[in-house]
Amino acid sequence: MLEVMTDYLRFVMGTLAHRRLRSWLTMIGIFIGIAALVALISLGEGLRGAILGQFGFLGPDVLGVQAAGIAYAGPPGSGAVDPLTEDLTDKIRRVPGVEMAINRYIETGTMEFNGHSDIVFAWNIPEGKDRSIAEEMLSLKVAQGRLLNDGDSFSVVVGNGFTDDEDFGKPVQVGSTITFKGVDFKVVGILQKEGSFIFDTAIIMNEKVLKDNFRRGDNTVNAIGIKAEDVSAVAGVKERVEQLLRRERNVKKGEENFTVDSPENTLQTLDQILFAVQLFVSIIALISIIVGGIGIANTMYTAVLERTKEIGIMKAIGARNSSIFTLFFIESGFLGLVGGVIGVLLGAGIALGGAAAGRAALGSDLIQAHISAWLIVGALAFSFCIGLAAGILPALRAAKKHPVESLRYAK
Amino acid sequence: MKAEYLRYGLENLLHRRLRSGLTVLSILIGIAAIFALVSFGFGIQNYVNTVGQEAGVDKLFIQARGIGAPGTDENFQVTQDDVEFVGKINGVAEATGMYIKPVEARNGRETKFVFGAGYDASKAKLVEETFTVKVEKGRQFRGGDSGKAILGHNYQVADKIFKNPVALGEKLEINGQKFEVIGFYEEVGNPSDDANIYMTYGGMESLFPGIKDTYGYILVRAEAGVKAGDLAETIQERLRKHKGQEKGEEDFFVQTFEDALATFTNIITILNGVLALIALISVIVASVNTMNTMYTAVIERTKEIGIMKAIGARNSDILFIFIFEAGMIGLVGGVLGVGLGYLIASAGGAAAAAFGFGALQPAFPPFLVAGCIAFASLVGALSGVLPARQAAQLKPVDALRYE
Repeated sequence: MLEVMTDYLRFVMGTLAHRRLRSWLTMIGIFIGIAALVALISLGEGLRGAILGQFGFLGPDVLGVQAAGIAYAGPPGSGAVDPLTEDLTDKIRRVPGVEMAINRYIETGTMEFNGHSDIVFAWNIPEGKDRSIAEEMLSLKVAQGRLLNDGDSFSVVVGNGFTDDEDFGKPVQVGSTITFKGVDFKVVGILQKEGSFIFDTAIIMNEKVLKDNFRRGDNTVNAIGIKAEDVSAVAGVKERVEQLLRRERNVKKGEENFTVDSPENTLQTLDQILFAVQLFVSIIALISIIVGGIGIANTMYTAVLERTKEIGIMKAIGARNSSIFTLFFIESGFLGLVGGVIGVLLGAGIALGGAAAGRAALGSDLIQAHISAWLIVGALAFSFCIGLAAGILPALRAAKKHPVESLRYAK
Repeated sequence: MKAEYLRYGLENLLHRRLRSGLTVLSILIGIAAIFALVSFGFGIQNYVNTVGQEAGVDKLFIQARGIGAPGTDENFQVTQDDVEFVGKINGVAEATGMYIKPVEARNGRETKFVFGAGYDASKAKLVEETFTVKVEKGRQFRGGDSGKAILGHNYQVADKIFKNPVALGEKLEINGQKFEVIGFYEEVGNPSDDANIYMTYGGMESLFPGIKDTYGYILVRAEAGVKAGDLAETIQERLRKHKGQEKGEEDFFVQTFEDALATFTNIITILNGVLALIALISVIVASVNTMNTMYTAVIERTKEIGIMKAIGARNSDILFIFIFEAGMIGLVGGVLGVGLGYLIASAGGAAAAAFGFGALQPAFPPFLVAGCIAFASLVGALSGVLPARQAAQLKPVDALRYE
């Protein structure tokens, strides 16, 4: 059997090499399409990963509570209709399985520094024993200076994004004084670069400082962060917190005006949108591969016609219809596969080069190429299958040829 | 003489029906994709232009900067003081503030979160003109209508926002307060705007007592004869000084309605262009296919070419015959491609309308149709150049001897 297969392969490779120009043109058709698809998918994957990386930094044992409202309207809680209140956080803390619950305030405002101003946002870190848990939960680390301590009333830690001089004309440093919403703060620490705007362009201050200066007499929170005692307890905690909130906010099951979800689940919606966009682009790129497949079918029909006499001879010396079919079928698949190999290499090159050029041109780390193994394997398998599919009808035609008439056939 | 060549070319195409058909199919697919995509691009541009003309060139927006959707960032708002100041600027005919806040709407047992907007009943005309929507059923607000609401188009349609449609005169619960529905706006063509709830200042202030005099944005109408673009600059300058802010660091921005639309159109055009470029790849592949078909045709007809040359055909005649044949493949592919693209785009438009995006419709200007067909013919003819040159340069004697 193996011998027969190698025979087939030798024959197939022989004829492919023989009709060099036509084989090449046919494969060009496939590899352009495959290259485009591989480049678009790997760039899309990279971009999607980078965008999701902006948000997905919390562990699997963390849940977030938000009031329902219009999503994507801005910072968490800003689209809320009936905002959450601080008393709920205290009640959530007492729910079994909850290690900690923290109020999350997000305050947007104008920051002034070096005579320039820009709109930024500030968020809080809780005081007391919750501080270290919150720091761990957000994996806060400073690149310079220190994190906050209790009693730091006019000190803040800022994100790494302020250390270039783009926004304010000169970099913010440890010891700089910045003004946020008219209040002066001393910068005591600068966070490590996180690659997410949530950290890199934020001002972080103690909860009491944020409340006293900007939220006096306001008991609403933007979101409540919950850390479960254990990853396995998360599902139970979610259920109990939902129960509690339904009771507290007086709503029936199925009519909740809040959500309790892991950050991962919330991200899924964004992921779905990005995926849909990527899928649409891929489908359009796929059209060119289909066109390439038609090219293969055409080449194979021509090959069958040209080799009519050969087919007649093979049949005359005992080749069965199925053998003839396999011969052309495999030849066609190989046209696809070889085109696919070149296409994957070319596509990967385009993606990596394009991503590097994009990063250099736009200065944004968001532009990444992610070439996964399944993409390569998938593209190769797909190009082989396209080749096979395109070969079915020509191969059938070859198999059905009448031996006598084929022998008689003259060019 | 030439007419004979044309007939010869067509006969050959028809003779090799299967191969020509497959080549035509490959061009057709690519052209159909490009045609359908670009027709949507034109459709959206048409829509935006129509909206722009209806809204007029005399409208401006003043909006707070900040993070998120207009008006939802409570730390940045434009105020009644700004409205009054802007109203007094030379060249401003009228100015009015609009409240905008997310609200919870409840109909029976169903609740939905949508945007609530509040405007001054006496300035309803400016609002209607700016957003180019009119009340299609019921009536506009009068002074003192604070317990009443006008709803976006989709509320009257079952299963769009609520399972049960809302009717005139019924009560809708907004953030727990009952509002009487006195009118419906006509369809805007996107699900978000068609779900808006409009109230008077009084209505919004009763829902959000703290909101008074802080708006999501300000609408401005320029006086007749005043250029909106110039007025935008004046307002930006004067309001900045009034608020005591540095140039380039304002917490608000002024935009003419035309600029706002242009930004939107540019984004759409770029996205559409990128998609069309990706679709163009398939046309490139199709041109490679055409080239392949033509090379095969040249090889098959080597003897024929020899005979033609022997009886006096010139190289340029042979060149013409094969380029013409390739061009015909492109032409037929182009015509069929435009036809298929038209069907796809129409189906896409119908699907978009069914999902509430009535504004997203394709347009088929004649130059798009002609352009796509001409492009396909050109691509076909160009793909034929190399094979045709090979045919033209064959030596008559060698060609005659070819088996």
